[in-house]
Amino acid sequence: MAEVRFGKAINLALADALEQDPAVFLFGEDIATVGGPFGATRGLHERFGDRVRDTPISEAALANAAVGAALSGLKPVLEIMFMDFMTLTMDALVNQAAKARYMFGGQASVPMVVRTPHGGGISAGPQHSQCLEAWFAHVPGLKVLCPSNPADAYGLLRSAIADPDPVVFVENKALYAMKGELLEQPEIIPIGKARILRQGSDVTVVSYGAAVHIVERAASQLAEQGLEVEVLDLRSIQPWDEAAVMESLSRTHRLLIVHEAVEAFGVGAEIAARIGEVGFDELDAPILRVAAPFVPVPFAPSLEKAYQPDAEAVIAAVRKLCA
Amino acid sequence: MSDVNELLMPKLGLTMTEGTLAEWSISPGDSVRPGDLMFVVETDKVATDITAEAEGELREILVPAGETVSVGAVVGLWTGPGQGTPQNETAGDQTEQAEQSAASEPAAVFRPAESSSNRVIATPLARRLAREYGLDLAQLKCSGKEGRIKAADVRAAARQYSTQDASATGAAAPDVGPSEEQRSTASALVQAMARRMVEAKQQVPHFYLAAEAEVSELLMLRAELNVQEGYEKLSLNHLVLAAVVRALEVSPEYNRIFHDNEIVQFERIDVGMAVSTERGLFAPVLKDLRGSSLDEIAAEARALQGRLQANTASREDMQGGAITVSNAGMFNVSYMTPIINPPQSAILGVGSIRELFRPDAQGQPVLRREMGLVLAADHRLHDGAGALTFLNRIIDALQQPYQLLRPRVAARRG
Repeated sequence: MAEVRFGKAINLALADALEQDPAVFLFGEDIATVGGPFGATRGLHERFGDRVRDTPISEAALANAAVGAALSGLKPVLEIMFMDFMTLTMDALVNQAAKARYMFGGQASVPMVVRTPHGGGISAGPQHSQCLEAWFAHVPGLKVLCPSNPADAYGLLRSAIADPDPVVFVENKALYAMKGELLEQPEIIPIGKARILRQGSDVTVVSYGAAVHIVERAASQLAEQGLEVEVLDLRSIQPWDEAAVMESLSRTHRLLIVHEAVEAFGVGAEIAARIGEVGFDELDAPILRVAAPFVPVPFAPSLEKAYQPDAEAVIAAVRKLCA
Repeated sequence: MSDVNELLMPKLGLTMTEGTLAEWSISPGDSVRPGDLMFVVETDKVATDITAEAEGELREILVPAGETVSVGAVVGLWTGPGQGTPQNETAGDQTEQAEQSAASEPAAVFRPAESSSNRVIATPLARRLAREYGLDLAQLKCSGKEGRIKAADVRAAARQYSTQDASATGAAAPDVGPSEEQRSTASALVQAMARRMVEAKQQVPHFYLAAEAEVSELLMLRAELNVQEGYEKLSLNHLVLAAVVRALEVSPEYNRIFHDNEIVQFERIDVGMAVSTERGLFAPVLKDLRGSSLDEIAAEARALQGRLQANTASREDMQGGAITVSNAGMFNVSYMTPIINPPQSAILGVGSIRELFRPDAQGQPVLRREMGLVLAADHRLHDGAGALTFLNRIIDALQQPYQLLRPRVAARRG
């Protein structure tokens, strides 16, 4: 057991995957010589040589090359510097990677991973702070993961690389420096399994990525006021663990979904709609969401702070559910 | 529709048969619009505002404030449509209402409100629970700020109904689900036992001393004695009874009880023993054991137990003595903290024998077989130091069991 940072856990998962499977290779902008804009690939080029490559600044070219490589039997792990730039990879991901298995009648698959950071809080402005995971979760054929801590980052990334289908692996920028325990032989975490981080009987709060920590802070404060919040970390957005959410809801009968992404048409909307259908008779209050407002991410730190969901907003929503 | 219609005492709950017209909010001649308060009805549970469901003018008050009338009684006349029919507080199209009652049975089953103005606002969970409990949501009060009936409101109503006699209204008792319980009258024996135990625990100031007796030698003695044919087979309980007898032989202060503010000293040594039977737990008393041999004690104990099992024990068998031995050793328990059986002043709880290693004088592990003993004593009569001396005498007799073979009669009397 050792304490490692989130970024280092990603680095270890990549190194172990490169070590164990010769089909795995990494490429992206500034990932080799510099070690990645956030340092996630530091030292890997030195260790694995050309299996860790720098590329020109063309996300469209990178993504299309990755699809081709994956269809030819390799397991590319691509880094897109900011999730905002995923717009340039859309044709490769949505029209090619996501469709190949289906269109070839199951005779081909696209075992590729796109790692990309989302999220604000560092005053990076409207084009470098977005959380766009809902777009990819909307496309049949893509999987979307979003870990909240170093151990999950390691375990989920290993599962993503081992998965036969294209996976979008979303890393929140604010988490790269976060420290957490990682086992000597880290656990491989299956895709599609949520985890209960805190048990409670009053409200189920579903969340993922960095928002999990906002929820945990709110839950601690609420516990002092006598409200017991059950905190569920989805870990996997597509597919998401409907059974775990339902199981928790059947005990608490109240549901709140919290994410940093824009609320409108988001992951929370999907969960709320689905639970409103399958969990209708369990609900003792309306399903609420705490998420970002329907505006671009502001550049000014003061405005960005107001924009991002915080523990206060979560507390207010939980109180409203229990009123 | 005639010009003037009846306002009836509404049925506001499953068990409501009559209601008190607590207050009229309007006077004859007043006009009301839908939603306006007309009068207040009180039942044994709550006060309920009755509002107008349509436009109209109050013509006449037939039941003045403060009077109690049965459900369905005409309380007033107004120009609006008839309101407050016994089946449903909301009057509407008669045909529609008939269809509703025909379609839903039994009567208590939840019916969604038909007209939008009377829609019941409840959470999905509250609706599900109301269905399961057989409660009518329209009759429930909501506690939340948002005017929405929640699960807690339904559960509260279910609890309330479950404690009432629903048969008074001819309705089936609502199924109260998980909280259902069964009751039966306790037998006279159980009641007597319960009374005595409450009395003992509430009125006798108990204190407790716990210690272990090393019983390796006792077990060897018992094994050797039990090898011999033609004698009483000795149980551990017999040996503990004998040890208590030996301790009492030299501790007359433990052969006394506190009764009606008097200290009663016994000359004879009688010792109770707890016996579990199909009828319950008893504490019959072995009589006159001073100077008895192990075999005599064992024979007497066995005979008494036999009488108890056969239900032929006499009243005399059940009383006397200052102390009881309660042996739970066969049930795998380390220590048993017993309740004194009044008017006795002490009880010895006996636990199972445990094998364990303890350091000897050189610090080397030695296998020991220990029996956990707890002496509970009446602090009105005894104190800790005295009770410890007494307990240690019992432990001495168990640890040096050859003492059990030799009554102390001569020593005491000589």
